Amino acid sequence: MEFLSKIPVMDRDALRELKKGIDYSFKNFSREYGDAIEGFFDPLLSFLIFLEKLLVNTPWPIVIGVFGILAWIGSRNYKLVIGTIACFIVIGYFGMWKNCMATVAIISVSTLVCIVVGIPIGILMSKSSRAERAILPVLDMMQTIPSFVYLIPIIMLLGIGKVPGLLAVCIYALPPVVRLTNLGIREVDKETLEAAEAFGATPMQKLRSVQIPLSLPTIFAGINQTIMMALAMVVIASMIGVRGLGVPILQAISNQYLALGLMNGLAIVALAIIFDRVTQEYGNRIQRHRGTTKK
Amino acid sequence: MKMIKKIVLSSLAVLGFTLFTGVANAACGKITIANMNWASANFMAEVDKIILEKGYGCEVELVPGATMPTFTSMSEKGEPDVAPEFWANAAIVALNKAEDEGKMHSVNKAPITGLGEGWWVLPATLEKHPELTTADAILKRPDLFPHPEDPSKGGFHICPPGWNCELSNRNHFRAWGMEEKGWMIVETGSAAGLDGSIAKAAERGENWFGYYWSPTALIGKYNMQAVDMGEFGGKDNWDNCLVKPEQECADPKKSSWVKSEVFTVTTDNFKKTAGKDGMKYLENRTYPGPVMNGMLVWMGENQAEGADAAIEFLKTQEDVWTKWVSGSAASKIKKAL
Repeated sequence: MEFLSKIPVMDRDALRELKKGIDYSFKNFSREYGDAIEGFFDPLLSFLIFLEKLLVNTPWPIVIGVFGILAWIGSRNYKLVIGTIACFIVIGYFGMWKNCMATVAIISVSTLVCIVVGIPIGILMSKSSRAERAILPVLDMMQTIPSFVYLIPIIMLLGIGKVPGLLAVCIYALPPVVRLTNLGIREVDKETLEAAEAFGATPMQKLRSVQIPLSLPTIFAGINQTIMMALAMVVIASMIGVRGLGVPILQAISNQYLALGLMNGLAIVALAIIFDRVTQEYGNRIQRHRGTTKK
Repeated sequence: MKMIKKIVLSSLAVLGFTLFTGVANAACGKITIANMNWASANFMAEVDKIILEKGYGCEVELVPGATMPTFTSMSEKGEPDVAPEFWANAAIVALNKAEDEGKMHSVNKAPITGLGEGWWVLPATLEKHPELTTADAILKRPDLFPHPEDPSKGGFHICPPGWNCELSNRNHFRAWGMEEKGWMIVETGSAAGLDGSIAKAAERGENWFGYYWSPTALIGKYNMQAVDMGEFGGKDNWDNCLVKPEQECADPKKSSWVKSEVFTVTTDNFKKTAGKDGMKYLENRTYPGPVMNGMLVWMGENQAEGADAAIEFLKTQEDVWTKWVSGSAASKIKKAL
């Protein structure tokens, strides 16, 4: 009966040894390969620092002007451009400019990394159902595992700072772009593909000229989601030493500074809305241009 | 006759004893203890919980919290009842006021001996460079402590954002002219970030320089060495400048760290609920520094939580804690383990 009433539990000492063993082997791994892995990410680090310095040191009217132009290129919507410019001016006026630029830098770079890594993986998944079956559970795990869990090994391996923060953001933000790339390509009309085949297109030509262009709106929705999720990770990334809007929020949490937390939180919301509307508008526009009926 | 007398006496004694403890049990009601979010405070809260529950018959609930929110809640709402390890420097004025009003009591002005804050380095660094025992000597060598984002600068690890020590470290950074000496602040982001940066440096044999405090597992585990920061630069410099936000501290002067005031504080309600016995226990409860660091290392090595550590402590360090409690409480606690 005892078997039924009490779940069999591993011996306390054995469990402790197991935990110690895992820690010990990871520490050894980090001692052995940590420097090499850090070196691998060095170019990314320099790029991040370069971008942040560029954004902070360029005179603010130029930076805001560039953001306005980018918003125009993306959305072709003057209301959005005015909104963007107003948001950045207000953020600057409330003294959050430097932190905001740091956040923009890390969000842009992590989105870029996610796109560069994610789209090829998505294409691979759409080409091979076996790859899809293998990768899907990994994506599920990346989205659900609490970020604090992987922060511990990341700190041991890479220390604290921008690169580990970037990795933490990417782990969480990568899945949508992969999923939606896969979905978009798989959803491309079979008849269109047959037509391309009938014209003798090679698989590469099919991919480049038919599948990717037709799935662009879906891929764009994925990129949009990736940006949103990256922004959601700003505070977590600040917990391992990434400068940005997350730092004052952490300050606000531990000191119960309501106004400070609210202001910086709203600044993140403003960034999110700008990024979201601009990329969405852009996605819609390429959709209209292709003349698909999907809305 | 003698036999009977003995039996009567002893049974009377037993009766009296049970009656007495019965009264004591009834006297102690429900109390809440702040379970602060760092290891030593967590461990102390768990020990207090076991001792007050098993030894004094209180009903104890632990409530999680950080220093300032807990203090605010204690002085405004009267809950939690006990903060076992309260770093009072941050709130000394408000605490004194609450004590004058009778809302709170600092029952124990030194729950742990030999604690303190300041700047630390790893022992491996001192082996290679034995001259780096003082802050002045270290600040001359930024090249030995490269900043992760700009290796040409020295990296100075400070507190996570929002901690009181974050402000004072930023002011120290200016007071010691560290920027001109080629140093840059490393933002640690969180306790995990700060600890992780030390652990990583220690495991890889890299140098590390920054702020930390004892008693902590890391100080014990890596045998970290406190840096001599010289003379204390005066109370005015400390209270009116170094601990203030940067805007309010125009001209910081260098100084060693202020002596840490760590208290066990209780609400007035605790005094009433737990009575004299409970207060007396908290008054007597002083952990020797090495014992505390030892427990913290044990927790780290075994990935144990405060609750496990409390049991381990009560089982293995009887000579320490039996001095804090009355004989009857001690035997009850031993029985309960």
